[in-house]
Amino acid sequence: MILHNKEDVILKVENVSLTYDRPILRDVNFEIRNITRPNMEQGQVVSLIGRSGIGKTQLFKILAGLIKPNEGVVKIYKDLHPVKAGEMGIVPQNYILFNHRSILDNLKLGLRGSMEKISEKDGLNLINEYAEKFGLREHLKKYPMQLSGGQRQRVSIIQQILTGNRFILLDEPFSGLDPIIKDKVLELLVSISLINELNTLIIVSHDIENSMAISDTAYILANQPDKNGATITETIDLIEMGLCWNPDIKKNSNFQDLVAQMKYRM
Amino acid sequence: MVAITNRTFALLVVVNVIIALVVWHFLADGGLIPTPIKIGKSMLVILSTSDFYDNLFISLGLTFKGMGYSILIALLICYLSLIPMFKPLARFIVKCRYLTLTGLIFLFTLLTSNGHNLKMSLLIFGIVPFFVTSLLSIIDAINEQEYELCKTLRMNNWQTLLEVVIIGKLDQVLEVMRQNFAIAWMMITMVEGLNMSEGGLGTMLIKSNKYIDLGTVFAILVIIFSLGVCFDFILKSLRNWFFPYTKLQIRK
Repeated sequence: MILHNKEDVILKVENVSLTYDRPILRDVNFEIRNITRPNMEQGQVVSLIGRSGIGKTQLFKILAGLIKPNEGVVKIYKDLHPVKAGEMGIVPQNYILFNHRSILDNLKLGLRGSMEKISEKDGLNLINEYAEKFGLREHLKKYPMQLSGGQRQRVSIIQQILTGNRFILLDEPFSGLDPIIKDKVLELLVSISLINELNTLIIVSHDIENSMAISDTAYILANQPDKNGATITETIDLIEMGLCWNPDIKKNSNFQDLVAQMKYRM
Repeated sequence: MVAITNRTFALLVVVNVIIALVVWHFLADGGLIPTPIKIGKSMLVILSTSDFYDNLFISLGLTFKGMGYSILIALLICYLSLIPMFKPLARFIVKCRYLTLTGLIFLFTLLTSNGHNLKMSLLIFGIVPFFVTSLLSIIDAINEQEYELCKTLRMNNWQTLLEVVIIGKLDQVLEVMRQNFAIAWMMITMVEGLNMSEGGLGTMLIKSNKYIDLGTVFAILVIIFSLGVCFDFILKSLRNWFFPYTKLQIRK
């Protein structure tokens, strides 16, 4: 097992329940710790995996502070204060951007929302730096509608990084992508987690294999027999299992077995 | 459906117009309805008189002024409709599309001080419900995720309103203006008929109708129609020029 430490809790979900006309989420509890590795700066990647229609998107919105649960609370950062909208970056499934603004202007809006105020020149340099890193340099003057789905997803992610948010929630980031693009998205997400020690990506998805391939922890959101509303039914510590931080993990037979088992356990 | 190029479409339009004019000429020859040639001659006569241009500018002035006031009033109502207090008012104005102006002319005459104001108020009253209907449907169609994106970018309510509803939908406001310009242009001749002292194309039409000068009536109608099509094209071009992203399609 790779040497690591699990330090402070940086996100805590306590007894979250949500009911509309029927119970959607019931007593959801989990936490994310800051994981450190010697001589290495690396954030966390956590997956919330569940079947379609189980309530993942509702949990996504609760985590982002966009909707309030009927019961319970989501606390973030080291002081564990209740989350407010704007403290977590979100990348929705359809990569929403402002279609009336160029990519550069969309990214500038991310910077404008940042807590850390920097000069326009430094901001532009920062945008160019990210655009270069994520292969978007030549697209900065284009409009979102001129980009492919994958490119829009990258813009959406960079926009959220520029706000200074350390938490970024991604709703179904692998949905509708072909296998080659999926691998590129996996590389992209890992590279984002490596930018800062506190960067924490929370992937909400039904794609077990791809989500777990880059996660250090996976939580399974599912229904329990004779109980209404989905809850966390299982926590998979991929670090403890030695199935983490390995670019070729998908070829690992233990990982493949785990993925196969998960399909039946969900 | 077979896809055709713009050039082919233009050629088809020309061919269709020629066929229609030829059919019209033979059907109308010797009858009460003037032939295209007679209308053409009347048009040349109208276009050579300075009186026509005075009337044209009066109608255009009234239309643009009416459109300007109407879009401002409609935008104000629509933006206010985001505040629950004003929602019923906006919905009521939408329903006012079903009110007939004819029964209200007397009331408007009492409420306004002169003929110009009467025409202007009737024009605005006639256009605003259609503007509000179109603008509200744009606001209703805004994806909730756009508001959520604003929240994650730490925008306050005013910044969200400005980004999503005002700036974000400005191109569609222009499109609504283009679509509703037709209503204003159609109404202008009607309201000008109510007060003829200022003149205008509507006044010209009514006078020519009175003397059953159908050649002139049809010629004025052709001019009104051509100007309407021309303004439609200009507004469409302005939209593409000011908001180039409107021409783009989402790539899959």
